[in-house]
Amino acid sequence: MLRLPQQVVCRCTLNSMMPIKVLLFATLRDRAGGKKSIEVALPAGATVKDLKVQIREDFPALKESMTSVLVAVNREFALDEAPLGETAEVALFPPVSGG
Amino acid sequence: MVDMPTIFSITEEVLDMDALLARITLPSTGAAAIFTGLVRGLTERGVPHETYYLEYEAYQPMAEMKMQQIADEMRQKWPSVEGIAIVQRVGHLDPGIPTVVIACTAAHRDTGVFEAARYGIDRLKEIVPIWKKEVGSNGTEWVEGQHIPKSGD
Repeated sequence: MLRLPQQVVCRCTLNSMMPIKVLLFATLRDRAGGKKSIEVALPAGATVKDLKVQIREDFPALKESMTSVLVAVNREFALDEAPLGETAEVALFPPVSGG
Repeated sequence: MVDMPTIFSITEEVLDMDALLARITLPSTGAAAIFTGLVRGLTERGVPHETYYLEYEAYQPMAEMKMQQIADEMRQKWPSVEGIAIVQRVGHLDPGIPTVVIACTAAHRDTGVFEAARYGIDRLKEIVPIWKKEVGSNGTEWVEGQHIPKSGD
C-alpha cells in the first residue's frame, strides 16, 4: 500500500521531463568532442537558463563555454528567461564571426 | 509596385559578382554598391601574423533567416534601395578569396546604396550565425565576435 503512491509520483516525474536536442557549432562542437548535437533532459516549462545549468552538470567539457554562449530557440536569439518547448529547435554557439 | 529582388544565401561556390549584380538590376537601376570581404593573408594590426586559410561554417537555416531580416532592415532605413544581395561563402577559403558579398542597387548613387551596403555587412557580422576558424602562423583558432544579441536582433 505504501509503495503504490511512490510509483505514481515517480512516473509523473518521468513524464514531465522533456528531452531536448541541442545543436552545437564552432567552439562548442569542438569542445564536445566533435558532436553536432547533444541531448539534455529538462522538466517541462524549463527556460534557456535552466538548459545552461543542466549542461554545466551533464557536460563538464562545455562548462566554461556557458558564460559566453549564445542560444537560439527556433532560429531566433533567446535570452535566459525564454521558455523551451519540447519541439523547439535549440542551438548553442559562440558570438558570430562571419563576413 | 515592382517586386524588388532580394537574394540571400550561404554557398560553397565561388562568388560571382557579375551574376549577382545582374540579378538585382532593374530597368530603373542606375547605381550599385557592392561590398566584398576577402581572406586577409597578412594581418598587421594586433599581433602581426600570416593566415594560411580560413574555414567557415554556418547554422544555415538561421543564417538565411537573419539575412532576410537584415535586408528588411536595409529597405526600411533606405526605401530607395531596389535590389539587395547578401551572400556568404563557407568552407575552406584561401587568402585573396572573396568570402562575402553585400550588394545594393538604386536608381541613383545618392539615395543610400553605400550606406545600406555598409549597414548590411556590419549587421551580418553582428547577428548572422556564421563562424570562421583561422589556420595560420599563430596556430589554429576559432575567431569569436564581440556582439551580444539584444532584443530585436
